[in-house]
Amino acid sequence: MKKYWIIFVNVIIMLAMLSFVVIYSNQTSRNTTQRQIEHFENTTITMEHVTENYLEGEQRICDVWARYINSKEMTMEDAISFIRISHVLPNASAHIVYEDTLSGLSTRAKSEGSEDYSVSYARIGLLNDVSWIKAIGESINISRAYTNPVNGEQSIAFCNAVTLHDEETGEPKKAILLRVLPLSELEEKWVFPQEEFSNAELSMIDDDGDYIIKGHSFKNSSFFEFYRSYNQADPAFMQELEQKLSSSTGYFTMQNSRGEECILAYTPIAAAGGWTLLNMMPMKDLIVNNENWMLIGFVSAGLLILFVFDLSVILGINKQLQVAAREAAAANKAKTDFLSTMSHDIRTPMNAIIGLTTIAEKNLNDPAAVGEHLQKISMASNHLLTLINDILDISKVESGKLSLSPLTFSIVETVENLVNLSQPMVKEKNIEFNFRVGKMDMEYLYADQLRLNQIYINILSNAIKYTEPGGRVSVDIYEEESEKPGCVKLTYRVSDTGIGMSPEFMETMYQPFSRQTDSRVNSIQGTGLGLAITKQMVDLMGGIIDCQSEQGKGTTFTVVLDLPIAERQREDMELDPMDVLVADDDQILLDTVVDALQSLGVTAFPARSGQEALELIKARHESGKDYDIVILDWKMPGLDGIETTRRIRKEIGTELPILLISAYDWADMEELAKEAGASGFVSKPLFRSKLYDKINALLGKEVKSVEPENDYSDLQGMNILIAEDNDINWEIISAMLEMFGITSERAENGRICVEKMKEAKKGSYDLIFMDIQMPEMNGLEATRNIRKLEDPWASSIPIIAMTADAFSENVTECLNAGMNGHIAKPIDIKLVVKEIRRIKEKKS
Amino acid sequence: MKRLLCTMLFVLPLITLCACGTAPKPKEEAAAGFAPKLSTEEKCKITVAGSYDNFEALEAEFDRFNKFYPNVQLNYVKLDDYNNVLATVLEGNDRPNIFFSYTWMIGNDQYKPVVAHMEELSDTALGLNLSCIRPGLLNHDADGKVMLVPVFSRTYGMLVNNDLFEKEGQKIPTSFDEMIKVCDAFKAKGIKSPMMGYTQKSSGCFMNTVAYPQFTATLAKDPDALAKANALDPAAGESMRPALGAVERLIESGCIDLAECDKIEDNYTQVILRFFEGDVPMMICTGDTVSGTKKRESQSEAFTASPFKYTFHPIPLSDQGGYFIDSPSVQFSVNKDCDNLDMTNEFMRFLITSEELNQMASMKRLVTPTTDFSLDPVYAPFGQVPAERTISPEVLGITDPLTVQIRIASYQVGKGEITIDDAVKKYGSFE
Repeated sequence: MKKYWIIFVNVIIMLAMLSFVVIYSNQTSRNTTQRQIEHFENTTITMEHVTENYLEGEQRICDVWARYINSKEMTMEDAISFIRISHVLPNASAHIVYEDTLSGLSTRAKSEGSEDYSVSYARIGLLNDVSWIKAIGESINISRAYTNPVNGEQSIAFCNAVTLHDEETGEPKKAILLRVLPLSELEEKWVFPQEEFSNAELSMIDDDGDYIIKGHSFKNSSFFEFYRSYNQADPAFMQELEQKLSSSTGYFTMQNSRGEECILAYTPIAAAGGWTLLNMMPMKDLIVNNENWMLIGFVSAGLLILFVFDLSVILGINKQLQVAAREAAAANKAKTDFLSTMSHDIRTPMNAIIGLTTIAEKNLNDPAAVGEHLQKISMASNHLLTLINDILDISKVESGKLSLSPLTFSIVETVENLVNLSQPMVKEKNIEFNFRVGKMDMEYLYADQLRLNQIYINILSNAIKYTEPGGRVSVDIYEEESEKPGCVKLTYRVSDTGIGMSPEFMETMYQPFSRQTDSRVNSIQGTGLGLAITKQMVDLMGGIIDCQSEQGKGTTFTVVLDLPIAERQREDMELDPMDVLVADDDQILLDTVVDALQSLGVTAFPARSGQEALELIKARHESGKDYDIVILDWKMPGLDGIETTRRIRKEIGTELPILLISAYDWADMEELAKEAGASGFVSKPLFRSKLYDKINALLGKEVKSVEPENDYSDLQGMNILIAEDNDINWEIISAMLEMFGITSERAENGRICVEKMKEAKKGSYDLIFMDIQMPEMNGLEATRNIRKLEDPWASSIPIIAMTADAFSENVTECLNAGMNGHIAKPIDIKLVVKEIRRIKEKKS
Repeated sequence: MKRLLCTMLFVLPLITLCACGTAPKPKEEAAAGFAPKLSTEEKCKITVAGSYDNFEALEAEFDRFNKFYPNVQLNYVKLDDYNNVLATVLEGNDRPNIFFSYTWMIGNDQYKPVVAHMEELSDTALGLNLSCIRPGLLNHDADGKVMLVPVFSRTYGMLVNNDLFEKEGQKIPTSFDEMIKVCDAFKAKGIKSPMMGYTQKSSGCFMNTVAYPQFTATLAKDPDALAKANALDPAAGESMRPALGAVERLIESGCIDLAECDKIEDNYTQVILRFFEGDVPMMICTGDTVSGTKKRESQSEAFTASPFKYTFHPIPLSDQGGYFIDSPSVQFSVNKDCDNLDMTNEFMRFLITSEELNQMASMKRLVTPTTDFSLDPVYAPFGQVPAERTISPEVLGITDPLTVQIRIASYQVGKGEITIDDAVKKYGSFE
C-alpha cells in the first residue's frame, strides 16, 4: 500500500471517529436540550397552574365583594365603605365606577391627606366595552395592565359587574367593581421558581397578543408585533401562531430583540379565557454542552497527535526503507562489480598459472625454462593467494563478522617480522629503506597481532610497491603515552617518494576495489582491497588512519592505535657501565640508538659518519681508553660500515667488538662483513631489548653466528604425524618435509590420529600437523582427545593446525582446543620450517 | 503531487477540528465614541413612560445601552390617558425616570407639577450633546434652560412614489406650477387622483397638511399678523388666504380627487396602505404617518408583490419650493426626583447623540431631530431644504389654538363647505 493511501485511510478513520464523536455528542446534547426544553415547558405549565390559582384566588375575593354588594342594595358610598373595611392588602385598592359615566369612587384617596376619592375610567379605554366581564363566578375577569388613574401605578384589575342603588332616586344602577393590584407587586411575586431558569421571563398576553403582563425582554405592546419585528413571518404563519398560542401548550424558538435565539414555551391560562402564559429564555442559557466540546476537543487532539506520530513514524520508516533500498541497490551493484572484478582479477593469475603450466609441460626437457616457468607460476599463485585472502577479509568486514582475537605479543617481533617481509621487495626494487624505531618502552602488548601485522604490512607493501626504483621509503614507529589507561599510543608512519595519489582518488581510496587510474599503477599487481581492509581493521581496533599524499611526490600514511599493555614485560634491562660508540648518518636513528643505549646504563658516543667514528676510535685508542663496543651502520656516505670496520681492524686491532647494523637483509653482505672483521650483526630497527641481547651476547664472547639460510640440518631425523584426509595435500606436505629430511606418517582422519597417538611409543613423533575439517573426527576434536591421553608425552605433544580455515577466529579456536600453532593453507614451506624450529626451540 | 496530497490530508483534520469549534460570534456593534462614566457593573432599573403603545426603536436603544451596562434594566411603559395621568404618575410609587414631554406643557398651569419634576438638561455637568440637535427644535425657557429634548421631529409633506415618476418620465415637482403640470401629466396617463390624502375628519386631513405650512410661512413674514393670529383676532384671517387658496387650487385643478380620497378610512394605516397600492404618485400626509410605512410594507400585499422606492418631500407650495415645518414630535424629560438619577442621565448622555437619535428615528421612521438626514433616505429630501424655508413653529411662537383655526378652516374649504372668504372672516371662531 502506498504511503499516501495509508495517510488517506488514517485521515478517513480519524474523520469517521471525529464524526462519530461529534454526532454522538450532538445527539447527547440535543437529547439534553430536549429534556431541558421539556422541563422548561413543564415548568411553564406549573407556572400556569400557580398563576391560575392566584388569579382565581384574587377573582374569588372580588366575587365575594360583588355578591355581597348585590345582595344588600348598596349605594356607591355603601359599597366603597364595605370594601374599605374588608380590604386588607396595603398596596391594593378597589374602584367602583358606573357603567354609563365610567366614574365613581376609589377605596383610596388620590394622594395622602387628600379627601378626593373620585375615580374616572372615561379616558382609559378599559371599560368602554365591558362584555368581557362575565357573570360573577363564571370566569376570571381580569383587565390588561393599565395605569391606575388614582395613583398612576401600572396595575391590573379583577372585575365584576355589580348593581348599586342611586342615592337620589333609589333606582338600581349598573356599575363595575374593580379589585386593583399594582403590577410591580405582582411581578415581584411572579418569579420563575427554578434556579436553572433564572433568566427565564414570563409574560401574559390576551387573545390579541397584547401584553397583560410584560416581561422585560418582551418588546412592543403586542407579542405578535414583537415576533414580527425580529423574526421572519408571513401572514399565514402569524395566523397559525396566534391560533396555536391561544389553544395549545407547546414551545418554539424565536429571535429576541438582541438577535439571540430563544426558546418560548406557551400555555393557555384555562381560567382566563383567551389568555396565554409565555415563558421565554435564551437558548444559550438552556444548552449546557461544554463537556461535550471538551470531549470532542480532547479526542480531536488525541487523534491529531496520533496521526502526526503515525505519520512521522511512517515517514521515518519510509525514509529508512528508501535508504535500505538504495543501499540494497548499491550492494547489488557492488556485488555485480565485485563479481566482474573478481572474474577479472582471479582469471588473470589463473591464466598465468594454467598457461605457464602448459608451457612447462611442453618444455620438460629444458630444466632452465621449466624452472623459470615454475618461478612465474609461484609468483602468480602467491598473488592469487593474496587476492583470495583479501577477498575473504573484505567479505568478513562487510558482513560485520570480522572480529579481533587479542593475544599477548612482542611488538619487537612484529616489527622484525615486518622488516624481514619487506626486505625482499626493497632489495628487488633497489629503493632506500629507513626503519626508525623511536621510544619503545613496552615490548609486550595485548592485541590481535595478525590484524596488526596485516595493517602494517599492507601500508608498507603499498609504499614499496608504488615507489619507483631509486626512491625512498621511511618507516617510523614509536610509543607515546596514551590517554586510555593501561594503553600505549603506538604510532606507525610510512612515508614514500612514490607516485602519490590524486585528491579525487583519496576520497574513495578506502572503498573496496579502488585503484588509481594511472598507467604506472596498472602495471603493478594489486586487488584494490588492501586499503579498504586496513581502514576497516584500524577502525575495528579503535585507531586512526591518516593519509597525506601529493601526486608525483609521495605519500605518508600514519596509523595511530591505542593498544593495551600486556601484563608480561621483560625484566629490567641493565648493562654494565661501558662506553659505546655509535655511528650512523641518519640523525634520528643515531639519537634513537644513543637514547636506547643510555637507558640500558651505558655511555653512548654518537658519530655521524664512518670517518668521524674512525677518528674517535683512534683518539680513544691513543689515550689508552678504547670504547667497549662500536656499533656501525652499514650504509653511510663516505666510509660505509664494512669499510670503517676494515679500517678499524687495520689501524686499531681486532680486539674491539664491532656490531654492524643494517635495515637490509644482511645475507648478501655477510661474507664481506665477516671478512672485514665484524663481530656481529644487528638488523634495524634497533630495539632496546635487541641491543641489550646483542651487547650481552657480544660481551660474553658468544658471538652467535648467523644461521645460514640453507642449513636445515637441525631438522634432520624429525618424524611428524600428519592428520590429513586429502591425498594431494598429504602428498604435498609429506614431499615438502622430505626435502628437509623430515619423515612423516599419515592419519587419514582425527580418529586415526588419536588412535596412532594412543599406540605410539614415547618420542615416536616430534609434533603433529593437524588438518581441521576431516571425516569421522575433526582436528579440533582429535586435539582435545589427544590432550586427554594419559601418557604425558602423548598428551603434551606439540600440535600445529594446518588448515584452510585461515581466519583469526579459526586460529583462536585451534589454540583453545589445545593446539600450539596455526599454519594456513596453502602452505608456505618457509613458514612451516619456521614453525617447526619454534616448536623445537621451545622443546629444548 | 504526493507532497501536496499529504499536506492536504494533514490539513483536512485540522480544518475539521477547527470546524468542530464554535464559530466566534461577529463583534456586535456598539455605539462608537460612547465611553461609560459609571461602573458598568451597576445594577438598577430605569423606566421610560410615554404615550406610544409601543416604542421598539427605544427598546432597541435599551439593548444598545446594555452593551455598556448589561445589568441596567430599561423598560418602556405606556401610560393610559397620558396627559392627564402624568402628574399623578410622577408623584406616585411607579415614578418613571424619563417621560414624554411637550413644549406646550411649559407655562401651562395644569402641567406645573410635571414641569416641576423636569431636570435641566442643558446643565453642562450632564454632558448631553445638545448641539447635535437642530437649533429650531430645542426649546429654551425664559432662563435659557432646556428642560425637554426632542428625540423625533414632526413635519408635513407628501410621500412620493419614485418608481412611478420614473416610469412615467416625470420629475418630482419643485414648485407649485410644476406640481400642477405633473398632476396633469399623470391624469393624462389615466391616474384619476395624482395626489391623495385623508379627508374623513379634520384631524389629520390632507387640507391641513397643505395649508398649515403655507399659513405658518405667511405668519413668519408678518409678526403683527402672527400676534393677531395667536390672539385669534379675526383680522389675522387674511393670513390664511394663500394657504386656503393652495388647497382650493389643488382640488379645482384636479390634482386631488376628493371622491377617491374619501375612500381612505383613517389617516394612518389606510393612508399608507393606499399609497402602497402603487398607483398614487403623491400621498399628502404628516411625518407621523410616514413613521408607519416601514412596518406596513410587509402588511401590504400590493407592495410585497411590487415594491417600489418612495421618499417624503415638502409640498412645493411656492415658486421656490416647499417649506420644512420643523417641529418636535416626541421630547424626553428626565424626572429629577427619580431613583437612579445618575444612570438615567448616563442613558440620556448615550441617547442624545447623532448616531443614536438617527438610529432610533430610522427605526421608527420619524424625522430625526439631528442635523444629519443621511441615515434614512426617505427623509433625505428635507435635508436639502434651505434654512430660509425651514420654519420652527415653536421658535416662531405659534400656539395651539392657532393651529386649530387653520386646520378646521382648510378642512371646510377643501370639502367645499365654506368659501375662502367665509373662512377668512370666521378666523378665531372655528372650534
